[in-house]
Amino acid sequence: MKDRLAAIVAELPADYADIRYEENRKVRILYEGKKLKEVASTASSGGHTRAYTDGGKAISSFSDPERADPMARSTCASAAHAGALRERKIRLADAPALTDAFLLTPTQDPRQVPLREKLELAAHYNDIILESPDVITTQTAYDEFASRRVFVNTDGSAIEYELLNCGIVGFIVTKKADVVQRVRFAFGGCEEYGRLLDREQDLRKQIAKARELLDADPVKAGIFPVILDPSEAGVFIHEAFGHLSEGDGLQNNPAFRARLKLGTRLGHSLLDVSDDPTLAGRPGHFTVDDEGVRGVKTRLITEGVLTGRLHSRETAAEFGEALSGNMRAVDATFTPLVRMSNIFIEPGAGSFDEMVASIDDGYYLVGAKGGQTSGDQFTFGAQWGYRIENGKIGSMVRDINMSGELFSTLQAISMIGSDLKFGERGGCGKGSPMQTNRKSGTGAPHIKIDAVTIGGV
Amino acid sequence: MHSLIETAKGSVDQAELYWSRRHTIGVLYQNRRLQQVEENDLSSLALRVVDNGKIGSGYGVFPDADGLLDGARTSARFGDTATFSFAPSAEFATVRTFDERTAALTSGDLIDLCESVKGRIEKHLPDTPLILRCRAQTETLVVETSEGAEGETRSTGFGIGFGAPFRGVGISIFKGDQSISPFDVDDALIDEFVEWYRWGDSTSTPSTGRLPVIFAPEGAFLLLLPLLMGASGDLVSKQTSPLVGKIGEQILSERLTILDDPLRDGDPNGRPFDDEGTPCATQTIVEKGVLSDYLVDLRSGAALGRPPNGHGFKRALFGGGAELPPSPWFANPIIAPGDESWRDLLGGLKEGLLITGGMGFHSGNYPQGQFAVQAVGYHIVGGQVVGRLDQTMISGDIYEDLRNVTAVSREQRRSIVGLLSGGFAPYILVDSLQVAGA
Repeated sequence: MKDRLAAIVAELPADYADIRYEENRKVRILYEGKKLKEVASTASSGGHTRAYTDGGKAISSFSDPERADPMARSTCASAAHAGALRERKIRLADAPALTDAFLLTPTQDPRQVPLREKLELAAHYNDIILESPDVITTQTAYDEFASRRVFVNTDGSAIEYELLNCGIVGFIVTKKADVVQRVRFAFGGCEEYGRLLDREQDLRKQIAKARELLDADPVKAGIFPVILDPSEAGVFIHEAFGHLSEGDGLQNNPAFRARLKLGTRLGHSLLDVSDDPTLAGRPGHFTVDDEGVRGVKTRLITEGVLTGRLHSRETAAEFGEALSGNMRAVDATFTPLVRMSNIFIEPGAGSFDEMVASIDDGYYLVGAKGGQTSGDQFTFGAQWGYRIENGKIGSMVRDINMSGELFSTLQAISMIGSDLKFGERGGCGKGSPMQTNRKSGTGAPHIKIDAVTIGGV
Repeated sequence: MHSLIETAKGSVDQAELYWSRRHTIGVLYQNRRLQQVEENDLSSLALRVVDNGKIGSGYGVFPDADGLLDGARTSARFGDTATFSFAPSAEFATVRTFDERTAALTSGDLIDLCESVKGRIEKHLPDTPLILRCRAQTETLVVETSEGAEGETRSTGFGIGFGAPFRGVGISIFKGDQSISPFDVDDALIDEFVEWYRWGDSTSTPSTGRLPVIFAPEGAFLLLLPLLMGASGDLVSKQTSPLVGKIGEQILSERLTILDDPLRDGDPNGRPFDDEGTPCATQTIVEKGVLSDYLVDLRSGAALGRPPNGHGFKRALFGGGAELPPSPWFANPIIAPGDESWRDLLGGLKEGLLITGGMGFHSGNYPQGQFAVQAVGYHIVGGQVVGRLDQTMISGDIYEDLRNVTAVSREQRRSIVGLLSGGFAPYILVDSLQVAGA
């Protein structure tokens, strides 16, 4: 396929063009309560092509590989049409041509594990939850995604590469009287199947929390100082700051570009934030992105100052900044977007006990529960939390969602712990139509934010 | 009948084929410039089988269906006992879902429309970093089963959306519409966009506590999605829905009537059958606040001991597609209009909020009816919009707070934003919700 696509791309009438072709396999096993709702081992394939001519851009996705040539040619014609209508031309940063194969060799490769073994593993964890008092139902899923991709472009790149991740993920649903609570759990989220094994103790801790939540009070609405655990802090930095470090979201918003010039002070000097796709074993790990650029670690915030940004070849040229290799697509039906890999807050010197002692009236919020961002506004949930009164952890609270504004909230980060920890489940939605990317990781130590708006009763 | 079903009939107990082929063209403008032209030619194929009494599924890409049946049979070997049969032969209602004019559109036509809309907006809002998106789609969808269901529908979809980040910030406002036919954008919609955009030039902070709230059609998903989950036959059969045993009971205000109507001619959500081949029908979910029925697919129908009602769709909170198993979902939710003007509702508020959306919905306990989101919308004081909401959260429980609906507007509009794209909703004035802000 690589040679065939390279021959096609070499003949394309465009200033620049590329074709990506993928063969994807997914395994999904889903238990809901006692019922095995789904066992699916599926395969799909397809391609995506992009062309730039005279500063105009066009893209196409196709299912049938026989359509690669006509679709690529039609895309080139559309790019020329678009270029004729643009005064300000789109440019691409130069990138080295790659001709390697970037294949994965995990210690315990999920692709080699029989389906029955995966089924038994999901059933085992599901049974542990179902045996527990107060549990009324479960969702326990085994998820595996394996993608083998070929990428060729008119610059001479012709590469093969793989993406792989597997995980056990789900919900524990508990009920007492009219109160129903759902607590998430997630193991793995990377290419190593071994990460999914022997996680019974971790699961039992989550079950215990799902039961405790039944007697917790709903959180009170208001503005409070909070401590975020590493899971929450990781999602916070992803939602609040990470999306605004993606060059494609920023390139067409003049007001935000002006506010986010490199060198701008964004937070306290103790704040360092990086994005690093080279971290093997983390959900956002990859070697090359979907426009054939090697992924590298980018220091986004250094001692509170904006020092880096995530780029495609297009946005790197637009901003005049270095390539980072963050241009990625979920599958062949989508065009790549600039996306975070593993974003994390670098460890500091603070301790959890110091943070608790510094709060008279606030909350300790635990466990990521998703989030959303729009421009400088962000919101994210917590699985559970605790009151902090007079420097001491108090009773548990539930149903927590919080929100804030990027610039003021980054300034309000006043303490950073030394206990950096990465999450085991990736997940990020972006684009229209939305691309939900599992290969997106977050990490952080405990952090303290002096003021966050919490929605509640 | 598709040859795959013919082949499958000889080797498994039952089979169900879902096949979609879509051709899409689209254009995207960012910061007033044509950013990209798009064309997609995509197909997908999903096969469910019952083999030796067990259910299994496979997914592939048309026309290469090699291995699909084998994959589904392998899945069935490990699968659960089938509790239901695939859809039998049935008559489907006639719904007008196709317009030749949409199928004939070119990307040049979409560019012309976007240029025209851009020019009309720029007369009022020069130098605004406008985003415009226009798409046209033609789809053939086939659902066939070995039990006799044979559904095939051709549909077109045409949509345009336009918006911009408010001045100096990143948060944006969008307006737009969808149809099966090409259309030009109404002046009224452009005027409304301009007015609402200017409302966002400044921010305003509401009082903390309980305030009256108007949900605009764009914000209706905050109310409809918890209801969708509550009315889902899936959650009802698992006893996790707050609406278990509530059919015939008052669950919302008597001012609220909510239908699911996939049989509207010319509606881009029009469908004669669901993704399992069960006939679709116009169905009342809530009538004057009283729960009328649940949304039931084949699986949840079997669990509840009742027939399905055409709500098995391959959709989910984020996206959908052939790979997903069907589950109960709205086809085309419609909140019935009231008899008041939305501007009168707004003009009558001493202090309140106009909500156009909410961020972080999916982080909340929405299956139980609860929501706690960062409010997107406007602050109203003395019957006037005084500014855009900033760092304001609203929270509530639809089964408590939506018992107290003060008024419903006569104007209805299709929402193109939010998590439940499509569907018609009026403006809904809720007596009060909990508000927290900076």
